[in-house]
Amino acid sequence: MNSEKRQTMGPAAVLGLFDSADALLHAIPKVREGKLGRLETYTPYPIHGLDEALQLRRSPLAGMVVVMAFLGAIVALAMQGWMSAVDYPVITGGKAPFSWQAFVPIMFELMVLFATFTAGLGMLFLLNRLPFFGHPVLSSRAIRGITRDRFALSVEAEGGSLDPEAATALLSAAGAKDIEVLSLPARAEILDSAFILRALGGIVVACVVAGGLMFAAIKLFPVLPPMSHMQEQAKLNPYKPSTFFKDGHGMQYPVPGTVARGYLPMGPRTPEEANGLVNPLPRTRENLERGREAYTNRCAVCHGPLGDGVPTLTAAYNAKPANFVSEEFRKAPDGRYYWAIVMGKNAMPSQAADMPEEDRWAAIHYVRVLQRAQNAKDSDLEETKP
Amino acid sequence: MSLNAKRLWGVTLLGLAGILAVYFVAGPARFWLNWVLWFVFLLTLALGSLFMVALEHLVSSRWSVPIRRIPERLSTLLLPLVPVGMIALGAVPVLYPGARPEALANKLLAGKAFWLGLPFFSLRVALCFLAWLLALSVLVRGSLRQDESRDPQFNVRARRFAPLAMVFFGLGITVVAFDWISGLEPEWYSDIFGIYLFAGAFLSALSGTLLMVLHLQGRGRLPEVRRDHLYNLGGFIFAFTVFWSYIGFAQYMLMWYADLPEEVVWYQKRTQGGWLAVVILMGLLHFVIPFFALLTRDAKQAGRRLHWVAWSMLAAHLLDLYWLIFPVLMPNPVLSWPELSFALFFLGGAFLWVHRVRELGADLPVGDAFLKQGLEFRL
Ligand code: HEC
Repeated sequence: MNSEKRQTMGPAAVLGLFDSADALLHAIPKVREGKLGRLETYTPYPIHGLDEALQLRRSPLAGMVVVMAFLGAIVALAMQGWMSAVDYPVITGGKAPFSWQAFVPIMFELMVLFATFTAGLGMLFLLNRLPFFGHPVLSSRAIRGITRDRFALSVEAEGGSLDPEAATALLSAAGAKDIEVLSLPARAEILDSAFILRALGGIVVACVVAGGLMFAAIKLFPVLPPMSHMQEQAKLNPYKPSTFFKDGHGMQYPVPGTVARGYLPMGPRTPEEANGLVNPLPRTRENLERGREAYTNRCAVCHGPLGDGVPTLTAAYNAKPANFVSEEFRKAPDGRYYWAIVMGKNAMPSQAADMPEEDRWAAIHYVRVLQRAQNAKDSDLEETKP
Repeated sequence: MSLNAKRLWGVTLLGLAGILAVYFVAGPARFWLNWVLWFVFLLTLALGSLFMVALEHLVSSRWSVPIRRIPERLSTLLLPLVPVGMIALGAVPVLYPGARPEALANKLLAGKAFWLGLPFFSLRVALCFLAWLLALSVLVRGSLRQDESRDPQFNVRARRFAPLAMVFFGLGITVVAFDWISGLEPEWYSDIFGIYLFAGAFLSALSGTLLMVLHLQGRGRLPEVRRDHLYNLGGFIFAFTVFWSYIGFAQYMLMWYADLPEEVVWYQKRTQGGWLAVVILMGLLHFVIPFFALLTRDAKQAGRRLHWVAWSMLAAHLLDLYWLIFPVLMPNPVLSWPELSFALFFLGGAFLWVHRVRELGADLPVGDAFLKQGLEFRL
């Protein structure tokens, strides 16, 4: 079937050789006047003025690259904007979720990435039609000269028709030597093609060899995890043995009969008893500031910066933290808050292990501030009037 | 652009009267701000040109030989800048906090008192000028002499000297950036600042060269310089607008991220009030407009487009320096008769000088061993 097809295709190109670049450049206009087909040149190195002589159109690659480059920048902006301001807004370094400054480096990178990929792949696949084995010139006699010191000019079929005699005459009139008529080589069937088989086989062999070497390397040499300084530093890990203490434990029991400062166990045993607790911290500006810090750091993620029970977490956090500005919690005694902090409640974990007592009481003061701020009375304004 | 010496003298003298009035009417601070601005502007133009000359010798570039005479001529601006720089030292006790007596009370500045103080400051200025003048003498005077002697040995000497000239240039422009510009706010510092100034200097030298070439070609001179040479100059401008913005943004982004008080105030001053408009204008003039104007291949060869891009590039560099220097004392941009007088004086003076050196040597470095290769340059 292939051979039949080859016969019907006719001559694809007529090619002649020149001894110098100048001779080639001079021949081009003469051959072009014949208007027999598309002109193409093959030279051992790039020659100035060839594009103009051939009257080549500008490659559309530049335009494609510009469009793709800007697309890359826009994609990067949209992606980062969506990720950091819409889908998972996390405040980093006190910056707004949508901070264009932080996006610029990635925009720049993606712009370059899109541009280079478009330029490279566009050139290879779109313009040079890459998966195309067997250009007629490759199987010509002339190819040896072209890759060394000869300059070839070929008249190529346009729309399937080429008059080989006329083209030969034209080329030789223009001074070409060693004129050849070239026809398209048969296109190999993909799966029959020895080339494809050999290529795949090569890839398989390369994978096996690389895998084997890797396996041997891992077996032979101790594994070196990269950048493990943080993991491997000298420190105590919870529930891990340690040579630092005599008993070999990383975590130590407190000295019998002692309690860490600020972590005295709570007296009351039931929530009702706890309701009787009185906030021991005076309501000074200092304590309120401390309370704000404690609240913002420890409670605000769940109970909301305003205490209204709207978490700053994503919807995936399903629990319903208490709404402190509601009627119920405005009336609730300080002790109820204290109990919740120490004991936790359902989805709220206890905070007692690492929140000193003074911070707990200060946070409660601050919750009162939030409650007052959102339920201000007209008389509050008058009091503050100078 | 018609350069007429008589008219230029008139403009310069008018400007001189104006700037004297500035000192006594608007006050010394305003005077020195303007003086430093114009000193640094012309200095970067001259140094950038010297850099272009040294770069050519250093990398044995051939394409640029036919236009080398232009940056050589521009780099002679260094000569009149010596007295301008000496006078600029008068600004040091007025504008530069590190050189004032109060500095000793500030712990940060007291530690750097030796470096920031007037004596060592002046010494640095003198050393820099000496180094640059040496480079000017070896590279530019040597090249002018070669016109007569046709001695190919000069090319060898220049190539040997070029690395040293690069060191002079690199250290020098860093010192200029640190001393004259970031020295205005000595608590602020940025390692990359010298490179930022270098980008502006190189851009303005390229633009100045391009304008001179086009100007001479407009009068039928330099016919040997072809579109291919212009293309390379245009390409360099294109590339370095990107370089400038890359450096400028890198500096900004790091400071914005780290948010250190002594660093961000510098930007805060320069993005508030009217200065924000200046930043935006600068981004347009220094990057967006030239970038798109020079994006295509044809644009980098089109004389008229290159002409206006080069002018706007020079304006952008001046605006850049204005934005670096003026916010030190001005909460909002100012543009009034003091600034205009200074523009008249320094532009008049600079054009007078350029007018004079326009005839310095032959238009082409006719004695250069590589001139022929340079003329044959094709893209
Ligand atoms: C991990 C999220 C989370 C954090 C952090 C958190 N809470 Fe809660 N909190 C909750 C949830 C969820 C509830 C509702 C529990 C329920 O009623 O099932 C709750 C309930 C409460 C209640 C009401 C208990 C009751 O008696 O009904 C109080 C009071 C309270 N939290 C105070 C605090 C304080 C003060 C802090 C900061 C020290 C804090 N919470 C930190 C999630 C949290």
